Amino acid sequence: MRQRRRDILIVGGAATLLPLLPLRAVGEETAGSVVGLLGQCAVDRGGQGHPMPLKLGDAVSITDTIEVPPDGKLKLRMRDGSVISLASGTRLTIAAYQIDASGQRQNAALSLAQGLLRAVVAPVDHPSTFEVSTAVGTAGVRSTDWFIAAQPGATQVGVLEGSVVLRSAATAHFVLIPARWGARVEAGLDPVPARTWSPAEFQAVISRTDVP
Amino acid sequence: MAVRCLAVAIGIAGAPGPAGAYTASGDRNFPATLILPQLAPGDELYLNYNMLPLSGSGAGAVSRSTNFTVVYGKTITDNLGIFLEETYTGDAVGGAGTLWGWQNQTASIKYLAVNNLDHEFIMTLGLDRETGGTGAVRVGASSSGATTPQLYFGKGMGDLDIGYLRPFAITTFSAVTLADTAPRRDVVSNGFAVEYSIPYLQSKVRSFDLPAPIDHLTPITEVLFTSPVGRSYGSRSTALIAPGVSYAGEGWEFAVEAQLPATRATGNGIGVTAQLHIALDFFFSDTIGKPLFSNP
Repeated sequence: MRQRRRDILIVGGAATLLPLLPLRAVGEETAGSVVGLLGQCAVDRGGQGHPMPLKLGDAVSITDTIEVPPDGKLKLRMRDGSVISLASGTRLTIAAYQIDASGQRQNAALSLAQGLLRAVVAPVDHPSTFEVSTAVGTAGVRSTDWFIAAQPGATQVGVLEGSVVLRSAATAHFVLIPARWGARVEAGLDPVPARTWSPAEFQAVISRTDVP
Repeated sequence: MAVRCLAVAIGIAGAPGPAGAYTASGDRNFPATLILPQLAPGDELYLNYNMLPLSGSGAGAVSRSTNFTVVYGKTITDNLGIFLEETYTGDAVGGAGTLWGWQNQTASIKYLAVNNLDHEFIMTLGLDRETGGTGAVRVGASSSGATTPQLYFGKGMGDLDIGYLRPFAITTFSAVTLADTAPRRDVVSNGFAVEYSIPYLQSKVRSFDLPAPIDHLTPITEVLFTSPVGRSYGSRSTALIAPGVSYAGEGWEFAVEAQLPATRATGNGIGVTAQLHIALDFFFSDTIGKPLFSNP
């Protein structure tokens, strides 16, 4: 009788915990959460084609695609401490975001289909990657405060702090962009040599990604 | 710097000006020039070598002038900057070997008045001040100082629908050197540079599979004219043509140009000039490479 009761408890406990297992798996894929929001931002979980409204505190996960409407803005705090601000009209997919046991980023890969984002990338004490890809190029950093904009046929990068490598998807040629500089790459071409950005240029992208 | 070196070499008080620098407007990078002064202020360092055979012959005449110049550029704001320049000159004098000495100290201020990114257009105003009596008379440094208002234009052709000609760009330079005292004469300087940027071709027009270092080169030809105004005290007009090429690295450039005198008063044979340009704003963008006052 006691043995049977134990079996029932085990089975019942397992049945109770079973639904949590997928949640835990999802939790392991959580990349960050929403910490700032303006407008009707939405997330397409896993690319299923069914965008759901986002609200403050919501988690975003690997394979999620985030959509910011023309009158919206969004700020995410990622699990490694990095902060990503999305301007209006931005569409971003979290392709990868791996965190180690100490909470440090191992690799992050974002896909920017359109729009503009600002990334304040948390430093790590071991080799890691943080890359944002667009249709025409890829920008990779370690720790920095920077912007990347996906425009029709071109990608533009501006760097406030640190440095960014912008690589052409077509030619694989790249350019190093230091702080206070910017560069762009156009479809099918090498990156344009970097140059200093004016305060007005930085202010334009700051205001577009400034989430209250 | 090249303007001053030429002026010293040919024995006139030419329009002073700092070394060439690369300046960007939109996606256009104007590479450092060696003969003409630069287009705009910047946080830059230039190391320039310049050698030009001269017309002098016989005892006491200068037959060749060699100059080593260092220029440091510092921005005050994003549009305003200063330049400090020092030139060490060696004059080969008939019967006396080579005389070495410093040229007068110079400082200049420049204001980037217009920078139209879409049209790759730049206009800069400059004012150069040469302090008389700070250099060695034996290498031609004048005891009289001079002040030189300057005007610069730069225009890239990237906004025009001209296909493979879009990498072309032109820069111009005009200045009037006003001497403090006679017998130093006033001088008008005018020049231009025509360049074809292969990096621009690769990044804005069509990406060819060009091998290094060709894909980093910018063929460039500079032309400089100087003419005395008012009482000339025997000096004559000069014209110098300098074809060459500039290689752009990441944060640095190296350029070499021949110097072809177009008049006998300019020189007497082919000279050469080379320049290493280090972009301090690239390598030290968070410290000495940024304007003293800037936002952000």
